[in-house]
Amino acid sequence: MDILEVKDLMVFYENAIAINNVSIKCETGKVTGIFGSNSAGKSTLMYAISGIMMDMKRKEEMKGGERITVVGEMRLNGEDIMDIKPNDRARKGVVLCPERRRIFPESSVLENLKIGGYLASRSQAQETLKYVFTLFPALKDMKGKEGGFLSGGEQQMLAIGRALMAQPKLLLLDEPLLGLSPAMETRLAQAIKKINEQIGITILVAEQYARPILPVIDYGYVLENGGKVLEGTAQELIDNPDVKEAYFGV
Amino acid sequence: MEVFIYGLARGSTLALMAVGFSFAYGVSRLPNFAHGAFYILAGFATWVFAQSLGLNYVLSIAISLVLLAAIGAAMYRFILIRVRGMEVSEIIASYALGVAILEALRCKFVGTGFSTPVFIEGTIKVAGVPIDLQRVVIIAGGVVVIGLIWAFTHYTRLGLSLRGIAQDERAALMLGIDSDRAATIALAIGSALAALAAVIILPVGSITVNEGYDVLISALAVCIIGGLGSWTGTILAAFILGFAGTLTATYIGTMWESVVVVAAIILVLLLKPSGLFGRQKEFEERV
Repeated sequence: MDILEVKDLMVFYENAIAINNVSIKCETGKVTGIFGSNSAGKSTLMYAISGIMMDMKRKEEMKGGERITVVGEMRLNGEDIMDIKPNDRARKGVVLCPERRRIFPESSVLENLKIGGYLASRSQAQETLKYVFTLFPALKDMKGKEGGFLSGGEQQMLAIGRALMAQPKLLLLDEPLLGLSPAMETRLAQAIKKINEQIGITILVAEQYARPILPVIDYGYVLENGGKVLEGTAQELIDNPDVKEAYFGV
Repeated sequence: MEVFIYGLARGSTLALMAVGFSFAYGVSRLPNFAHGAFYILAGFATWVFAQSLGLNYVLSIAISLVLLAAIGAAMYRFILIRVRGMEVSEIIASYALGVAILEALRCKFVGTGFSTPVFIEGTIKVAGVPIDLQRVVIIAGGVVVIGLIWAFTHYTRLGLSLRGIAQDERAALMLGIDSDRAATIALAIGSALAALAAVIILPVGSITVNEGYDVLISALAVCIIGGLGSWTGTILAAFILGFAGTLTATYIGTMWESVVVVAAIILVLLLKPSGLFGRQKEFEERV
């Protein structure tokens, strides 16, 4: 059973193609990876799936800026979500933890998490808050600290925790390891695995550098210049000689 | 002492006038240039309900607040939503609505004979300084309103979601917070706050159409000095301007008051273009 099915998706910025005929699937309860270098289209794909692209499109139209076109099919548990607004997609369980984290800088750690719990019921929020603090004990010790003053790794933990508070069914992680130390990379990769195993959330994770993420994914896709060039299980990707050199730094 | 108490009253007045504008702008980045018109409209609405229709005073005030909240929400839903993101159009559209309201009011309400009754009659002496009780109500009202807004935005789900939108709209969208809904609510609350300010402040003077323009200017001055969108900045700036105005009136002369206000704006803009607590580029992005 696939929670998410993207079919023949194309995204254009003006006449430049950003996503070229990409079809991907996320199997329910699994971790799926998307790999690719800068400008391969990872973030664009994430924005398209989460619906943020609709908001960007609207804003661009308002100020007469870039024309954004999205065509294709996107289904969440079989339901067409192409025309659903981003906040309603979040309500349906598609929650994006964006590139560069976008922590609320003036709110404390606890408040960031509370704002994240907007869609959660009181008991869900309490339960998830407890879970986030067991997953990332470091956050508990800095509950009162302002989000803007956290380090990169701390911010990433907070961003994932905040996304969990929104009760996702499909969690989209866009470059969660960007700019982190190797130790923090491993810790976060482990946390991603834990979230998937312990509370059964389906995860789609996009990364530039595949190595730390590869051990935790079940299936992966490789994007290049907006198009899908390869897909397979983690093992198949590792074994592919072209991929090895280009993306896994082996 | 006299300066302190009158400065406090004037600061509270300015804070009440500005807080609605600041709230709406802080949450939705929409400058509501109809703010002053809403303020005066609420004053006349209360006057009509209480004096012409003979309704109970408290009821009249409540109806005015609800009415203005509805007008604020409607202004977003039917007008501002179409031009959102284009600052100049937002200003022109809301200012046009404000002018339309004020000039329409001018047809009906001529002269200075309109005033709503004070809440409590009489004056008291605080440390030897006589102050009428309505001004005490203004000070208390300012404190209560600011306290309530603070509690609302820190402890309720809706209030927290508004703060999320205010800080990073797109991140809030990802968490399921609807930005159109947030903007509607922000403008409704902002307009209701303008109305609340009007019903508390207007009893000490009379309701005139021209004051609508003055209130808008005062609110803008306070918000620019405090830093657009910063709530702490707004409150601080209100009291700075309040005390500066009172000090000038007492020691230099009343005619210099407005000069001091404008000079304060220019000074702040020269030294810190984003205002005292402006948050443009306040935090460096961490990668």
